[in-house]
Amino acid sequence: MATAVKANRVKQKMVVSRLLQALPILVLATFIVFSLMQLIPGDVAVTLAGENASAERIAQIREAYGLNQPFLAQYGDWLWRAVQGDLGASLLSGEPVAQTIARTFPNTLMIAVYAVLLSVLVGVPLGILAATRSGSPLDSGIMGAASLGVAVPNFWFGMILVLYLALTFKLFPATGFVSPREDFSAALWYATLPALALCTNGIAEIARQLRSSLVEIQSSQHVRTLHAKGLSPARILWKHGLKNVSVNLLTVVGLLFNKILAATVVVEAVFAIPGIGSSIVNAVLQGDFPVVQGAVLAMVVTVILVNLFTDLACTVLDPRISEA
Amino acid sequence: MKKQNRDQQKTELTVNGNGVSRRAFMGYLSGALAAGTLIGPTGSWAQSGGKTGLLRVGANANPSSLDPATGGSGSDHVFLYTIYDTLVAWDFDTLKAEPGLAERWRFTDPKTLVLTLKKGVRFHDGSALNAEAVKINLDRNRGAEFSNIRADLASVDNVTVTGDHEVTLALKNPDTALPLILSDRAGMMVSPAALEKHGGRVDRDPVGAGFMRFANWADGSEVVVSRFDDYHGKDRPALEGIEFKIITDSATRLRAVMSGQADLAYHLDGRQKPLVEKMPTLSGSVSSTIYVYQLYMNMSRKPMDDVRVRQAINHAIDRDAFIRATMAGAGEPAYMNLPESHWAFDKQTAGLYPHDPEKAKALLAEAGYPDGIELDLRGYNDQSSVQMQEVLLAQFAKAGIRGRFRTGTIADMSASYFGQEKTGDMLLSAWTGRPDPSLSYSLMYTEDAYFNAGSVAPPDGFNEALLASRSSDDLDQRKAALAKVQRLVMGNALVAPLAFRQSIVASNDKVTGYRNNLLGKPKFNGVSLKG
Amino acid sequence: MNTSTVNDIAEVWDEPGLGRRALNWLRGDPRAAFSLVVLVVILGAALLAPWLAPHDPTAQNFDRMLNGPSAEHWLGTDDLGRDVFSRLMHGGANSLYAALLAVAVALVIGVPLGLIAGFAGGWTDTLISRVIDTFLSFPAIILAVAVTGAMGIGLTNAMFSVGLVFAPQIARLIRARTLVVRRELYVDAARCFGASPLRLLWRHVLPNAIQPVIVQSTLLLAVALLAEASLSFLGLGVQPPDVSWGAMIARGYMYMSIVPEQMYAPGVIIMITAVAFNALGESLRAALDPTIKGHS
Repeated sequence: MATAVKANRVKQKMVVSRLLQALPILVLATFIVFSLMQLIPGDVAVTLAGENASAERIAQIREAYGLNQPFLAQYGDWLWRAVQGDLGASLLSGEPVAQTIARTFPNTLMIAVYAVLLSVLVGVPLGILAATRSGSPLDSGIMGAASLGVAVPNFWFGMILVLYLALTFKLFPATGFVSPREDFSAALWYATLPALALCTNGIAEIARQLRSSLVEIQSSQHVRTLHAKGLSPARILWKHGLKNVSVNLLTVVGLLFNKILAATVVVEAVFAIPGIGSSIVNAVLQGDFPVVQGAVLAMVVTVILVNLFTDLACTVLDPRISEA
Repeated sequence: MKKQNRDQQKTELTVNGNGVSRRAFMGYLSGALAAGTLIGPTGSWAQSGGKTGLLRVGANANPSSLDPATGGSGSDHVFLYTIYDTLVAWDFDTLKAEPGLAERWRFTDPKTLVLTLKKGVRFHDGSALNAEAVKINLDRNRGAEFSNIRADLASVDNVTVTGDHEVTLALKNPDTALPLILSDRAGMMVSPAALEKHGGRVDRDPVGAGFMRFANWADGSEVVVSRFDDYHGKDRPALEGIEFKIITDSATRLRAVMSGQADLAYHLDGRQKPLVEKMPTLSGSVSSTIYVYQLYMNMSRKPMDDVRVRQAINHAIDRDAFIRATMAGAGEPAYMNLPESHWAFDKQTAGLYPHDPEKAKALLAEAGYPDGIELDLRGYNDQSSVQMQEVLLAQFAKAGIRGRFRTGTIADMSASYFGQEKTGDMLLSAWTGRPDPSLSYSLMYTEDAYFNAGSVAPPDGFNEALLASRSSDDLDQRKAALAKVQRLVMGNALVAPLAFRQSIVASNDKVTGYRNNLLGKPKFNGVSLKG
Repeated sequence: MNTSTVNDIAEVWDEPGLGRRALNWLRGDPRAAFSLVVLVVILGAALLAPWLAPHDPTAQNFDRMLNGPSAEHWLGTDDLGRDVFSRLMHGGANSLYAALLAVAVALVIGVPLGLIAGFAGGWTDTLISRVIDTFLSFPAIILAVAVTGAMGIGLTNAMFSVGLVFAPQIARLIRARTLVVRRELYVDAARCFGASPLRLLWRHVLPNAIQPVIVQSTLLLAVALLAEASLSFLGLGVQPPDVSWGAMIARGYMYMSIVPEQMYAPGVIIMITAVAFNALGESLRAALDPTIKGHS
């Protein structure tokens, strides 16, 4: 009992320290995001003023956007407004950045979560299958496919999917999207091909990680003893294998989400999906820095929160910590 | 199959449509905008009555603004035309001026233009489109700090209301280009009430008197407009609404039509033409436009300051091969800034630069570059542009012109080439054209023009000829003056025009009544949907 | 700084017996050997393209645009009638250069950062670690897109951005190893003999921390290759008349509905190369990782 209490205390401490660690990362992230603007060559005010602008007009714009203030003051100002939900507006179209994010991010999240789910749903059985038949042709087949899955450029795979599943066989729509907030089942329908394009890496990674962890556990002294005691392999796999690797798996899924979220940028371009990734690419191409800042910030904050959540979940679930 | 039903439902939700009344329909049939050929055999769709539906259009770019005065992109017009009507309209085939919101206009003397407005026209918000409203708009367009079209109306001295439906423009100098200028952004009328309500500009809350009223704009995703039931006169729109889906990649745009997510897509590439033709369910509209791909030249830089070098570059280009390779043949070779079907086309100028690499070499040698020249070239980074750059590099190489293209985004490259930095000898870009050609010439070649990157003074006689082209109301006289302008431009090789883009529009078999125009910016006023 | 890193890596490899050990390793690991052969062939084809390629990769011929494979053009011709096979060879040089550049940038930034953090400890370590963690929270390609957009388009800028994005991974690895090594006895011993911290870093810590970095770098080459493809697809990569595999996919994509075959070759070669890099990296990991292998 005493050890359990102690373990709980250790866990509480770890949770608190994780939360405290996330805070400076969040602040640093906002700083980096804001600094991106400073990298843009040339004078932002001149760009903003557009063709044939007079010196007065440029000065006016500098004033209006607070560009004549010191960098840190500008950052502080931006951060203060960002905290209140005001991320500025697009330089080109005037749409508030917060609105752009609210409109596009659900689409991207929909695809990313869909892809992560597919990765888990396909990757876990494949990993278990490969581990239980370790060394068999099935195992090498799965692992061979996994190494292809990691190496395939997912936007290219997306094009192939469009070519065959959308244009040739017309099973899925080739382009476009329906917001999940508008019509969820339609959104699911539209998100299927992009999610398929994105999930190859995920399936492969989950299957590989799971296989190697399971194989390692299987070959451990402990499990060998259980075998000798006559426990059924399935039971051993469940009780001592999967339970132990579930924490590991959670970490992998967390990292995967980050990766897939990033990869949506290119896949959205292939499918003409109005997601946050394509907003960023378009904004980058047009020098629309408030949109770049806001959208990148939204993504980074999401990633940090997901990381934090997986970290916390791991801390709470990790059997090793309770054993400590 | 299921999906299509869902789409249909969505369609009905987004549009406040109750179907078109029989009367509205008959009114539409006799619509002036239809200009005869716009409507096919009427019987085929007249009985489809109330179910006219929503036109889903694959659009190529997010609008820069839906306020005609604040936007700056040539691709905005397609959206703007649905929301705003212009004071003057144009003929689809030749771009000659035609009545619009102004049912007639006349120059009472070379410096006075009187517009007589159509009566009974209302804006979407119910306010009247009268002489007062026109004055407010014109004054805003030429005076407001944020207006991007002040230059268009630079010749206007003042605007006075001379009757309920009559506006008089007093000009600083004769400017017969004005009527066509009023067919562009400057002539799009915004509701003064809406302007007042939104602080003087309506970037995201447009209210006009066009056949569609604004419903929604989601950046980079869609612009939705729905039918304006009180559209003026008899030109009742047949569509319940238009949903523009913004898809920047042209191949993806076409795929949207092929796989049923859109009814019509415009601004397709030449290479997609055979594909459109191959699909039995699609129909294509292909026609010339005044949108011209060209190499801008910075004439203040060496060796571009030598007219012989610029002429050599023009001779080095094989425009037919260029069109074949980069536009799959769907283009018209450009030897000047206007295509053959334009009213001010000049045949003599068009013959100046046949493809002749040897002559190019000789000209370079004459200019003191017997071993050829090395150029710093600039261009955009999309694949279509890169393809054009590759073709040009290969053609240049055969005439002793070497170089590399530095590519970047349109915003970056244009700003650094035309803006303060002035980087690069030539920029591969395009000129989208203006309804009145004199405007194109003054915007590109006068000494202080933004698009004259080197700020080099135009050749002798250019300014006089340009002025002459704007001093006469007579089309033949204008044509003669513009021919002189054009000969000066091309004779001195101030630019290397490459090819006029063809407007390629693909639509499915439900769409009827769509017709291309020479401006290359689709108008959907006459369009309806079958079934 | 980067030259000494390279020297030290070379030093590790030049240790007597290592060549033979490598040979033994390859003999015992057919997957690694095969991957190495594939990579050598691809790299050789890319480097020797100017002499080996059957055609000029920029020679255009509008009479045979988008043709299928033939005796003269083994992989057919592209949209401007250029030989696809020759372009693959020349494009390989740019794509591999891009991947190497990104990883080199990552090493140049990541290795010193990790060493400093791990060796200095204290608040320096805390600060660097936080920065590393923060950068790792940025979705990689998105950060690369944003940085490339800001710095200006071009293959070198794009891959520099990718390298920047990779650097924290390297730094984190190095830091972890440095911490371990630092605690080990011989470092303390060296310190007792009065060696300067810098000398300690380069002579003792780095060689011991570098093995996982070699593994990670090999794996990152595959990721960088895919990143090149992505960025070129978005139009942020090579500039004409240059060609890369990613740019070839981007061009093929324009003709996807007409001649889908145009997309296959560059995509497949990217995949093969990435698989080979990954396989090699994993074999290296198995060979070098002391926990898996007895000696180190």
